[in-house]
Amino acid sequence: MATTAPSSWSQRISAFIHSPSQFLSSTTSDCFLAELLHELRDDRINESTKVLLLSILQEYPNVLCPSATVGEETTLDLMAIFTQAPVRSMNLKCHLMLATANILVCTSCMDSQAKVAESFLDLLLLTIQDTNDHKDGQVFHPLRAVACDCLREMETCFPGLLSQKLELLYLLKQQETTPLHQAYCVLYTLGLKNAIHLLALQNEVADGELKSILAGNEGFAWKVVENPLPPFPVSSMGEIPLLQMSADSKELRSIVSLLLEESYLLTPASQATLLRELVEVVAMVQALSPSIFKSQLLRLFGTVETTLLHATLLMKATFTDSLFTTEDENFFIKRLVGMAQHPQLSNPQKLFYMDCILHFPENRPISSNGDESLPVLVTPRLAVSLLPTVFNDSSTMLCRMSLLSLVYMEADEEDDKGVSYLFDHLMALHRIVDNHGTREMTVTFFRAVFTFLNYFYHSEKFTNDLTTRLCELYSRHCYLAPNVNNMIDRAQECLGDSGWPIQLLKALQKLIVELPLPQLTLQNLNWHFKVLGRVARESQVPQRSSVCFLLSVLINSSLCTAGGWRMGNAVLAVCRNLLQHPCLDQVFIELADLLQYMMHHYEDTDIQDHARFYYTLLTNLSLEKLSGVLAKGPDIGPAKVRSLSSIMAESEGLSSNLTVHQMKHPVLQLVKFQDSAKQEMSQEGRSKTLEGEEMLRVYQEQFLSPGFASEVILKYCLTHVGDVEAPYHKLFSICLHFDLTDSNYEEVRDINVPCLFKARKPPVVHLKLKPRQPYPTRLRASAVFTTEDGMSWYTQLADVSVSFPDIFLPMPVTMDWSQESREQLFDHIWKSTCSEESSQSATSLFCFEVGDRRLCDLVESNFHPCLISKQPDQESYKVLFFLPPQCHVLLHIIGAEDAIQVSIVTDNWKLLPYINSYLHDVTNGTQKGGGNQMEVPDSRTDS
Amino acid sequence: MSIRALWIITQEKGQSGTVRFSKRYPTVERRAKSLAGPQYVAVPEDCNILHPLMTELGLTDPDKPFVVTRDDCARPQRSPALELRLEGRGGGVLWPLLAIAQGGLILACLPLVDAPPEPRPPLPSLASVSQGLSLLAGLQNCLCGAGGKPEGEALASRLALLPSILLQVCPLGTPLDSPQMGAPHPNTNHSPAGAQKQPAWKAGVHRGRAVVNVALSEMVRSMQYGSRSKQDLWDVHGSVTCKCEVEGVLPNVTVTLTLPPNGSPLQDILVHPCVTSLDASILTASSVDDNDGSAFSGPYKFPFSPPLESFRLCSYTSQVPVPPILGSYQLKEEQGQLRVNVSLKLHESVKNSFEYCEAHLPFFNRGQVVSVDVKVSSGQLEVSKEKGLLVWVLGQKFPRCREVTLAGTVSFSAQSSGPTDPLCTGLTAYIKMYFRVLDLTLSGCCVDQHSVQVYSTAKPRITSSRELVSSEYYIWNSTGDAPVSSGLLMV
Repeated sequence: MATTAPSSWSQRISAFIHSPSQFLSSTTSDCFLAELLHELRDDRINESTKVLLLSILQEYPNVLCPSATVGEETTLDLMAIFTQAPVRSMNLKCHLMLATANILVCTSCMDSQAKVAESFLDLLLLTIQDTNDHKDGQVFHPLRAVACDCLREMETCFPGLLSQKLELLYLLKQQETTPLHQAYCVLYTLGLKNAIHLLALQNEVADGELKSILAGNEGFAWKVVENPLPPFPVSSMGEIPLLQMSADSKELRSIVSLLLEESYLLTPASQATLLRELVEVVAMVQALSPSIFKSQLLRLFGTVETTLLHATLLMKATFTDSLFTTEDENFFIKRLVGMAQHPQLSNPQKLFYMDCILHFPENRPISSNGDESLPVLVTPRLAVSLLPTVFNDSSTMLCRMSLLSLVYMEADEEDDKGVSYLFDHLMALHRIVDNHGTREMTVTFFRAVFTFLNYFYHSEKFTNDLTTRLCELYSRHCYLAPNVNNMIDRAQECLGDSGWPIQLLKALQKLIVELPLPQLTLQNLNWHFKVLGRVARESQVPQRSSVCFLLSVLINSSLCTAGGWRMGNAVLAVCRNLLQHPCLDQVFIELADLLQYMMHHYEDTDIQDHARFYYTLLTNLSLEKLSGVLAKGPDIGPAKVRSLSSIMAESEGLSSNLTVHQMKHPVLQLVKFQDSAKQEMSQEGRSKTLEGEEMLRVYQEQFLSPGFASEVILKYCLTHVGDVEAPYHKLFSICLHFDLTDSNYEEVRDINVPCLFKARKPPVVHLKLKPRQPYPTRLRASAVFTTEDGMSWYTQLADVSVSFPDIFLPMPVTMDWSQESREQLFDHIWKSTCSEESSQSATSLFCFEVGDRRLCDLVESNFHPCLISKQPDQESYKVLFFLPPQCHVLLHIIGAEDAIQVSIVTDNWKLLPYINSYLHDVTNGTQKGGGNQMEVPDSRTDS
Repeated sequence: MSIRALWIITQEKGQSGTVRFSKRYPTVERRAKSLAGPQYVAVPEDCNILHPLMTELGLTDPDKPFVVTRDDCARPQRSPALELRLEGRGGGVLWPLLAIAQGGLILACLPLVDAPPEPRPPLPSLASVSQGLSLLAGLQNCLCGAGGKPEGEALASRLALLPSILLQVCPLGTPLDSPQMGAPHPNTNHSPAGAQKQPAWKAGVHRGRAVVNVALSEMVRSMQYGSRSKQDLWDVHGSVTCKCEVEGVLPNVTVTLTLPPNGSPLQDILVHPCVTSLDASILTASSVDDNDGSAFSGPYKFPFSPPLESFRLCSYTSQVPVPPILGSYQLKEEQGQLRVNVSLKLHESVKNSFEYCEAHLPFFNRGQVVSVDVKVSSGQLEVSKEKGLLVWVLGQKFPRCREVTLAGTVSFSAQSSGPTDPLCTGLTAYIKMYFRVLDLTLSGCCVDQHSVQVYSTAKPRITSSRELVSSEYYIWNSTGDAPVSSGLLMV
C-alpha cells in the first residue's frame, strides 16, 4: 500500500472534515479506514500525523465504522496500537484512548457488550487506579486524566454502569491530591447520582440497600445498558423519583457535605456540573435537606461565573422556598436584573441573564406552563435600567424591547409613560433608518416595531402615530417596500383581530396614488406596484384609486415603452390580485380599460398577451367563476391549482411548484426481482484453437471496444408500498430517477414505466449500472407520475442498495467459448495476475469449515453462474467473478482435510475487504439466493 | 451539560465565511439522538453549516436589501441562542446554537438539550447553555487575547493550538475547565502530591519570592447634553486585577477595598470564583435598587486563594456625585460654515495630572473639512480633513483655572464626500473625550498596601495601583437633537 506524505494527509483530512460524504464518494469508508489504520500502525509516521488521523476517528466514528462489527475490529486494532506505543508517545496514547471510547459508544459495541468493550473498560479502570502517579510516574498523568473522562462519558451514556463500583471510586477520589482530583470527584458524583436514581426507580427499597451501594465494589453493571435509565426530569419539570428511606442517611449526608466543601477546589465548569448532580441527589433523597446548600449560596450569588449562577438558578427551580426565602428570591431577581446590564459582562452573558429573568423560577408562580412570563417582582421601577437605547447592539435592543413591553403591558393601564418611552425609542430608530442607516439597523427597526405591535396593537394612540410615521418613511424610501409588506403579512398572521395592517395599507395606498407623476421613476414605480399589489389582496380596501393610478401612470409615463417585461409583470400582478377582489364590480370598467390599454400599448408581447387573457377572463366570466379559476389554496381542489400555472402573472419559479405536487409518504417501492430461471452456460461451444498467451491477448482485446462488458443490469419489481389510498391505485407515466451517492458509478439513466395498477402484476424494471469502481453503493431514487385525475406527483423512494455480489458478472466471453477454453483462460488470468508486478494485484487465502452442509451444494447455490470448473470428487472448484469495468476476482476452492481453503487472486487489492466479508457471509450461510444484503458503508453523517 | 459540536469561522468583509476549525463530539451526539427521539436533527457537515448560520447572523447576501429568510421581522433574534434552519435533504431546525461574533471571527457551538424536545424547553432550563457560553468566551479569549481580533498567520497559529487545548478542557464534549492559551507558568512546578488537595484551577505551585500586585482600574462613562430637558448622566465601573505569586498549595490572601467617608457604596459587585467567602452586606447595594443612606459602604474584604495567573478579583459599579470633566458644546450653522464653541471644565476634586487627555470632534454628513479657523485657550488642535475630525490635544494638565475653551468656525466642501453617520445628522453632533489619570479613582475606592494580608512564611512584596480611564464619554451639542442614552430619566 502506498504511503501518503504527512502534508497531503493534512489536506485529505481537511477535505474529509469539510464534507465526509463528498470525500467518501470517491472512495469507500472501508478503504479509507483501512488506510488510516495502516498509517497508524506504521512506525515511520510521525506522532503528530497519527494524532491528526485519530482526530477523525474520534469525531466521525459512525461514518468510518458503519457497523458494530467494523467498530469492534477497529477498536481491537486501536488497542493493539495502544499497547505497542512507547511511553514517550503519551499524547498518542491519549488520543488512541479517546478514539476507542468514541467508537465503542457510537457503534453500539457497548450495547452488545462486546468483549473488546469489557477489556477497554478494564483498561480505563486500571489506568485510573494509579492515584497521585505513585506507580507509573508523572508521564502517565495526562493518560489518567483522559481515562477518567472516558469513564465519565461512559457513565453518562450508560447511566448506572459504574453503580456497583462506588467504594473504589470514592477511595480514589479521596486519595488523589493533584489537580486531577477534580476528575475523580466528578466521576464519583455522577456514579453516585445514577446509582441513587436507579434505586429510586425501584418499587421497594430494602433497608441498608443504599449502604451496600455506597460500599459496592463489584463488576460493571451491564444490565443498565439493556434497560437505560430515563433522563432525569429536573430540567423538564417532570416528577422527580423519590427514594423513601427508613434507615438513616448519615453516611450519604456526610458524603454530600464533603463534596460541597471541596467544590471550591474545582474549576467553575466542573463546579457547576458537580452542583447540578448534587441538586439531583438531594432532590431524590428526601432524608437530605436542601439546606445542605445554604453555606454555598452567598458565594454563588456573588460569582461572576455564568455557569455557577446558572447552577444556582437550577437549585432555585428545584427547591424553591425550601431553600430560598422570599428575601433571597427578591435579592436574586435584583441581582439578575443588575447583571443583565452590568458594564463588565459580555453581551451574550447579558442576553442570557435577560432570558433567565423571563423564565425566573418563582417560589409562588402564577402560571407554570414554562412560557415566557414576567416574575411579579420585576416592576417597572426595577426594569427601568433595562430600557433600550439607540446605543445598544441589535440583539440587546430587541431583547430589552420585548422584556420592557412585557413589563409595561402588565403595569398600570392609566400610566403609559413607559410605553411612550418605548414608542419614542422606535421613533429614534425611525430617524436613523430615515437617515440611511445600515441594513442591519433597518431590519432591527422593523423587528422592534413588530415586537412593540405584538404587545400594544390595541392602543390606538400609538398605532395611529405609527401608521403616519411609517408612511413618512415609505414616502422617502420606497425601497423599503419588501420590509413593509413583510411586516404587514406578519402582523396579519400574529395580531389576530387588529385592524392596524389594513389601516396602514389604506394609508400607503393613499400616499402612492396621490404622488405627483413627474416625480416617479421606473425604479420607484416598481416598489409602489409591490405595495399596491399587496393592497389589492385586501377585501376591505377600496381599489378604485389604485386602478386609476395605474392607468394614469401607463398613459402618462414612459412605462409602456421603457418598462419592459419585468415592470409589465409588476402591473399585471396587481391586476391579478384585483381580479380576485370581492368588490371587483366596483372597479370593473376601470380595470377593463387598464387591461385594454396594456394590450394595445405595452411594448412587450408577452405582457400584451397576458393583458388580453386577463381582459378576456374579466369580460367573459362571472365573478364566481373568475375567482374560482384564479384562487389558489387547498379549498378549491387540486385540479384548479394546475390550471393556475398557465395564467399566473409572476411565472418565475411559481408554475413549476404548482404543477408537480410533493408526496408526503412514499407510495412506490422497488423490490428485488427473484430470477427463478437460472441461466445455463453453454457447454457445447466450439473449442477455441487459441493457445496460451494468445488466448489472454484475445480476451483482453475485447475490452478495447467501447462499452464492452461495462454494464451490470439489476432487476426490480416496481410495486406499491403497502396499502395506498385509492387515488394512487392506478399510476401512469412513471418516470424513475436515480441519484448517485458517490462517484464510483456513471450517472444512471431514468427509467420510464407506462403504468402501474394495484390489481395487476407489477412491472419489472431493469436498472443499468456502469461502475467506475466496483464498490457497493446506494442510489437515491425518486419518481414522478400521474394519477387518474391528471395530477402530477413527485415522490421519493427508499434508497436502492447495491451490494457487492450484485455487481458480479460471469466471465465476459462470447457464448461460443467452450468449457475447456474457459478453464484455460481462467488459468491464464490466474497466472498473469499472480506474476504481475502491478501494485494493484493481490493474493489472499480464506479458510472455513463446511459443517454439515455439502461443499458442492454451497458452491452451486452461491457461485453458479460464475463457476468455471467443478470437480466434486476432488473437491476442487474454480470461480471467476468479473466486475465491470475490468476487475477480476478468481477463487480456487479446494477441500482440505480439516477445512476448505479458498485461494483468492484479484487484480484490485482494494476489493479484498469486500471479498472477505462476502465469503464470510456465504460460508456462514447468511447469504442465500439472490437476496443479497451486504452491509453498505453509509457515507452520510445525517443518518 | 455537554456540547455536540463546535465551529470557528472567519469572514472577510463582503465575502462568505470559511470554517476554520470544527470539532464534533459523537458520544454527545448519540445522547442527543436518543433524547430527542423522532425530533432529532443531526448536526450537518461543515460545508452545510455555513450558509444557515451566516443567514441567521444576517451576514449573507450583503448586496441584497431584503431577503425574507434573513430579514423577516417576526424572526426572534433576541437571545444568545439561534435557531438554524437547515437546507437540503432532511432539513430541520437546529436549536439552540450559541454564537459569538467579534469582528470577522465567529465562534459557535451547539449545546445538548437534555430535556424532552417538545414543547421546546426554556433556554435557562438547559444546563449545557451556560457551559457552552463559557466555553465560547474562553475560546474567544484564547484566539483574540486582549488585543482584538488577530489576523492571518497569528490567527492560524492560534487555531493550530486548539486541538491540544480542547484535549485538556473538553476531550469528550463536557467542558472541564475554561480554555487557556499559553505555556505553564515559569516559576512553578508540578508539585509531588502532598496531603492538601491542589485546586484544579491551579496547575502548579509558585516557588520563590512572594509578590502581590493589586491594580484598581475605574472607567467613567458620561452623556452630557447641556439642556434643561435632558439630564446629564455619568457613572463609573471598576475592576480589581490581582497577580499573586505566593508559595503554598492553597495560600490565603485578603484584599480590602475601602471608600472615603461619605463615599457612595460599591454596587453590583461580582467576584472571581477563587474568593472563599463573602459577607452578605457586600452584595446588598445594587444599581437597580433605591439607594437608602444606610447602605453598607465598606470596608470590602475579599479573602481568596489566588490562582497562578493574573485574574480579575472583583468588579463593581458606582454612582459618583460629579463628572470629572463637565463640557459644553454649541454649534451654529452660519452661511455654509459651522460656528463651534466648546468649553471643558475639570472638576476641582479631580487631580490635574493626566497621562493623556484629548477631545475628538467628528463632523458627519457634511463633506470634507476645507478650512478650520479655530482658537483654543490651551493645548493643540490637529485636523484630519478627510476624516472630518478635529482632535484637541489637551496634554497632561488643564490650566490653573481648570477651564479650557475652543471657539471658531469650520467649513466644509459641498462636493467631496466626508464621513457619514445615520445618527449625527443636522446639528446632532458630539465631542468624545479620551483621558487617563493615574493614581485616582472617582469613587474614591482604594486598596491600601497595608491592608493586603498574606498568610505565608515569607514577607511578600506588595504593590498596588489605581487609574481612571474614560469610556464612552460624550458631550452632545446642546443646540442639536441628541439621542437619549438611558431611560433612567423617565421615572
